[in-house]
Amino acid sequence: MKYMIIIYGNQQLWESFSAEEFQQAITAQDAFNRKFAETGELLGAYGNADAAQAKTVRVRDGVPAVADGPYLETKEYLASWYLIDVENEQRALDIAAEVPFASVNAVELWPILHEGAGNTL
Amino acid sequence: MSNETLEDLLRRLAPQVLGALTRRFGQFDSCEEAVQEALLAAVTQWPVQGVPENPYGWLVTVAARRFIDWVRSDAARRRREGDDLLATPPSLLVAAPADQPPIGEHDDTLMLLFLCCHPSLSPPSQIALILRAVGGLGTAEIARAFFVPEATMAQRISRAKQRIRKAGARFELPPPAEHADRLGAVLHVLYLMFNEGYAATSGAELQRADLADEAVRLARMVHRLLPEDSEAAGLLALMLLTQARRAARTSADGSLVPLAEQDRSRWDRKLIAEGVALITRALSSTRELGPYQLQAAIAAVHDEAERVEETDWPQILALYELLERTAPNPMVSLNRSVAVAMVHGPDAGLDLIAVLEADERMARHHRLHAVRAHLLEMAGQRQEARDSYRTAARYATSLPEQRYLTTRAAKP
Repeated sequence: MKYMIIIYGNQQLWESFSAEEFQQAITAQDAFNRKFAETGELLGAYGNADAAQAKTVRVRDGVPAVADGPYLETKEYLASWYLIDVENEQRALDIAAEVPFASVNAVELWPILHEGAGNTL
Repeated sequence: MSNETLEDLLRRLAPQVLGALTRRFGQFDSCEEAVQEALLAAVTQWPVQGVPENPYGWLVTVAARRFIDWVRSDAARRRREGDDLLATPPSLLVAAPADQPPIGEHDDTLMLLFLCCHPSLSPPSQIALILRAVGGLGTAEIARAFFVPEATMAQRISRAKQRIRKAGARFELPPPAEHADRLGAVLHVLYLMFNEGYAATSGAELQRADLADEAVRLARMVHRLLPEDSEAAGLLALMLLTQARRAARTSADGSLVPLAEQDRSRWDRKLIAEGVALITRALSSTRELGPYQLQAAIAAVHDEAERVEETDWPQILALYELLERTAPNPMVSLNRSVAVAMVHGPDAGLDLIAVLEADERMARHHRLHAVRAHLLEMAGQRQEARDSYRTAARYATSLPEQRYLTTRAAKP
């Protein structure tokens, strides 16, 4: 069963960390990634660029229009996400609880309903 | 066997070769690596040089040589490090490689299955290990079947092998007292493998279908090894009788077609005949009615109805009652509620569902809401049925199911 774990945040939140806290967060994150890559449950961990770099694409009458900024105007944006493959929901919850950011703010857990075959997976 | 392809031949021999090696050297994890390398060598060399006269002996020899090379280089490394403890007694290093087919080849394959289903492993790891050690599949193929990166699958397989070693598992048949339990674990894993392949109906459909085919191939192997075991026969029959409906189960656009609406002319009559014969023989000879036999018997009753109206629901209901007593489980009760509705009317079925819904896990299961929607439809309660289909769609765990349920909810 595959799940997506999502971290939301914004520039203000990231800037609220001291340099030391930031370094600790990176170390904790690396340890998390290593641990679950070794169990064969973490398929990938991804970090998005800041919302300032996001673009929204709309196609009308076959013509794409690109706008700066994310689709939704919200206070927090999709910042990082993990793809995990686990035996059951309880295991997914256990892993989500180990995401370092779950101890700072919160993480979201979404079951994956469908996936198409890609070349990398 | 004359028209057996090279791949079929190698995959048939793989567990026997691994069995021979593990019996000789004991180190399952290294032996498994050595066999994979021997298989790879065969794939590259045989098409050019021709298949050797004794392919089994060739593979054992190459794999054993590989293994011994490793142990030797490992021993040399250890000596350099001043550690003279050898992993393997020297007598094993000079033992002549086996070039005769083993006497206990059947036991070897069984022992491999038991080892791969070791209780220290999770079911997904057991499946992956069986596909590689018994099925002779490469890591890349297994990774594709599960939509995970190859490195992830390699990691899982190597961890599974480490666990087996740490648990001190031995390559031997379990004591008679444990035999039934361990065989039960093997059958369960094959059942899960089959469902994994059968349940996926979109995306990379073919790859998943291969997983179901592989489960059938392995179930055939177990049945051949243990022809007297009625649950092994029941599991194979269940797979064949389910597999028989595969072509009718999805429409051209990939959407799900429920059993009642399937075009039965597209069912595979040969598979049905084989499955029915198997389950009939198993049921008439067994003293113990197990859950696989009962599920196969139910599948056989469905498959034998030429038209959906001819389905023998009273017999299906009786079988579900037996199954519920043999292996109580809320999903079985849910299926029984359908049979109850078909025999005693939708209200009787709906009463049963109301009871099941008290279980919180069932209350969040899409199947419960889908069945209720179906029974409400039968009872002529259109609006309530639509609501239940919508709830079911929200809890669906696969895209084809979700699409099917959403479509049903939208029907006038």
